[in-house]
Amino acid sequence: MLLAEQVLNGLQYGMMLFLMAAGLTLVFGVMGLINLAHGSLYMAGAFACAAVAALTGSFWLGLAASLAAAAALGALVEVVVIRRLYARDHLDQVLATFALILVFSEGTRWLFGSFPLYLSLPPVLSGAVTLPGGLVYPAFRLAIIGTGALVAIGLFWLIGRTRLGIRIRAGEADREMVAALGVDIATLYTIVFALGAALAGLAGALVGSVQSVQVGMGEPVLILAFVTVVIGGIGSIKGALVGALLVGMTDTLGKALLPAFFARFMEASAATSVGSALASMLIYVLMALVLVWRPTGLYGARA
Amino acid sequence: MSRGGALANALVFAALVAVAAGADATGNPYIVTLATKVAILGLAGVGLNLALGYGGLVSFGHAAFFGIGGYVTAILASHAAAGTPVITFPFTVAGTAEMLAIWPAAILVSGLAALAIGALSLRTTGVYFIMVTLAFAQMLYYFAVSWPAYGGEDGLSFYVRNSFPGANTFAPLQFFAICATLLGGAMILVALLTQSRFGLALRAAKENEARVIAVGIRPLAVRLTAFVLSGMVAGLAGALFADLSRFVSPAMLSWHMSGEIMVFVILGGVGRLAGPIAGAAVFIALEYLLGPVSDHWQALLGLLLLVIVLFAPRGLMGLVARRRHV
Amino acid sequence: MSEPILSLGHLSKTFGALTATDDVSLDLRPGEIHALIGPNGAGKSTLIKLIAGELRPDSGQVTFEGQSIDRLGPAERARLGLARSFQVSSVIPDFTALENVMLAVAGASGRTFGFVRPALRDRRLTDPAFFHLAHAGLSGREAVPARALSHGERRRLEIAMALAMRPRAFLLDEPMAGMGAEGARDLTAILAELKAEAPILLVEHDMDAVFALADRISVLVYGRIIATGTVAEIRANDEVRRSYLGEDA
Repeated sequence: MLLAEQVLNGLQYGMMLFLMAAGLTLVFGVMGLINLAHGSLYMAGAFACAAVAALTGSFWLGLAASLAAAAALGALVEVVVIRRLYARDHLDQVLATFALILVFSEGTRWLFGSFPLYLSLPPVLSGAVTLPGGLVYPAFRLAIIGTGALVAIGLFWLIGRTRLGIRIRAGEADREMVAALGVDIATLYTIVFALGAALAGLAGALVGSVQSVQVGMGEPVLILAFVTVVIGGIGSIKGALVGALLVGMTDTLGKALLPAFFARFMEASAATSVGSALASMLIYVLMALVLVWRPTGLYGARA
Repeated sequence: MSRGGALANALVFAALVAVAAGADATGNPYIVTLATKVAILGLAGVGLNLALGYGGLVSFGHAAFFGIGGYVTAILASHAAAGTPVITFPFTVAGTAEMLAIWPAAILVSGLAALAIGALSLRTTGVYFIMVTLAFAQMLYYFAVSWPAYGGEDGLSFYVRNSFPGANTFAPLQFFAICATLLGGAMILVALLTQSRFGLALRAAKENEARVIAVGIRPLAVRLTAFVLSGMVAGLAGALFADLSRFVSPAMLSWHMSGEIMVFVILGGVGRLAGPIAGAAVFIALEYLLGPVSDHWQALLGLLLLVIVLFAPRGLMGLVARRRHV
Repeated sequence: MSEPILSLGHLSKTFGALTATDDVSLDLRPGEIHALIGPNGAGKSTLIKLIAGELRPDSGQVTFEGQSIDRLGPAERARLGLARSFQVSSVIPDFTALENVMLAVAGASGRTFGFVRPALRDRRLTDPAFFHLAHAGLSGREAVPARALSHGERRRLEIAMALAMRPRAFLLDEPMAGMGAEGARDLTAILAELKAEAPILLVEHDMDAVFALADRISVLVYGRIIATGTVAEIRANDEVRRSYLGEDA
């Protein structure tokens, strides 16, 4: 029963990572851009949700605000800064988006202060649900899993079935060809970037609702999203989904099981420290294994 | 190296020494400490520059080596203070407070880490390489946070600065002199390296990998060597940094640190020998000057960085020198 | 008949359902230009990559100067004297002409790991580099960055680099691609120079050049060699005329 709960936790964590990684991998794949400030968009979504929910008393309005604010901020950043970076090398992209993090983090601290904000969940989501088999599980975490699954289905449909998706895939394959087809590349890029930003903002709002909303919350998640993209392969939504679930499961189960595992042949406190130290490294070991086996990720294009 | 470039490098180094000596003479030990910080962070940047500037390897994980150098120093020093061995198996390693023993240990351990991380990361290129180096550094960060033996999240202090034969390392100017000498040595080393056969191959591999293979050179071996050397220099810088504050914490391993080291290099000008020193100096000066003015000085720093990347992509030394191959 | 420098035995390579190289055997003998022709998609580039070591065959062997080189990577093969050159942008534009050739000398020597001595003061590098530059007609241009050289000079620099590798055989993949008529004439002269140094396996589309230069020709269609012979034999071969030359005639 404990294991089933941990599996659900891993699934929820993975779905949240997928929301982050999907935007990153699209922006990598389509525009060839590495965006460190993706975590700032996650943070922006969380703060927008917290601020609007506090103002209106409605969590749902806050959630809508997180999507809108992150998308708007993403579009703004794309137009003002990011689009000047597409033709630059990765080094310039890293530095410029690192600079954006400094600006966003300090800007947020200036606006909201350094103290964490807390969101209260609407009654429908704040209870627990009894699952088949008798497991009692928080409704909100189930909602995150459901949201992630819906977004995954939506993205597969968007990329695979719609005109926008065809343009995105064509843009990944050959930038000049798309331009020659008469697609407005600049607008396409802004849309893709804003889409990725909205997903990050949604993830931020959801996670902010279970944890807390504070400056710097986006950065640990960003790095996990990088690991996810490396494992899944750049540009692949499927890779992002599989990678996110792998990372989510590995991390959650590792943290739950490793200390117990070491407790079998160590005394308890040592087992806890060894176990949790190793568990914190587990996803990176996973990444290293994938790199040895497939340097371009599970679903990445072969170089 | 062009003559103008060598002159510019010497000038940057001389300016740093002059600031420290002048501040000491006029009774401003705090400025001497800031200059020492510039020398140490500049040293880390000189190390990264070897991989990034000359080898084109955009490592976003050099905090790993910087932090390892710091932790090796703090661990050896704290064991020396407590009189306990660091390990007893498979052989006994005693703690030490001698810089001359600590430095080789810091260089060795960070070099081994760079070998392992580099061997894995260099299987990839481009964006993957950036993310993978970042991720491995972050792995060490989380390890340091969750490993309680050496302070975990709180870090590890040691109360006495390590000693150097014939010097009083507590005198700010003397400790600066030690750091500046190592910095000067590292600059000479990097200058020699980049002009050597090895440097020829490294720079060529950055420009045209296929050509390098076609003349019979394995780019991976060349790059891995550069990456390891680069990590060793960063590790030495970390050892000095630990001694500067007599404290290490996981922050030394964090990705902010990696970002800052990279900022020094790029702010100063990629692939310029003294660039990282100029970059670190500007960074520290901004922190010192803007910090008291506004709590949000990092936002100003971010805006400044943005302007530099978008409008002066060759860095500060690029603005001044306007020469290639400095 | 003298021993071949390079010989391929039953090389095969498939990519998924596509057979790019199908049981190919051929050899390169001292002093010859052996041209490899075939329609687009016949697998010529794949074959060159298999020989250079950039791809691994599914089966078959590559023998170079009597030794199996199947286990060697591309850099090791280059160091043995299997010179792959005349690719697009095959010089380092930021390096001077001298540094470019020094790189080739260093690569051929197998000693890339000198860390201290400045390369420009290492006479084991500079002396041969000056020699090869002079040989290629670039005396006086040693200190010029490659990017500032004229098109013709850059070609000569490539020769100097190729010669500095002490080549035992050349692999040339469409050296005339993207060159005008004048460039093609240049290259004809260059090939004659290279041939004096080592035999050449030449992949080329330009039939006039192939028929003018080649000593022997192999015709590759759908990854298989359908004929090997002298220029006259290939011109007279019915199967070749049907499956390949017929389209052009």
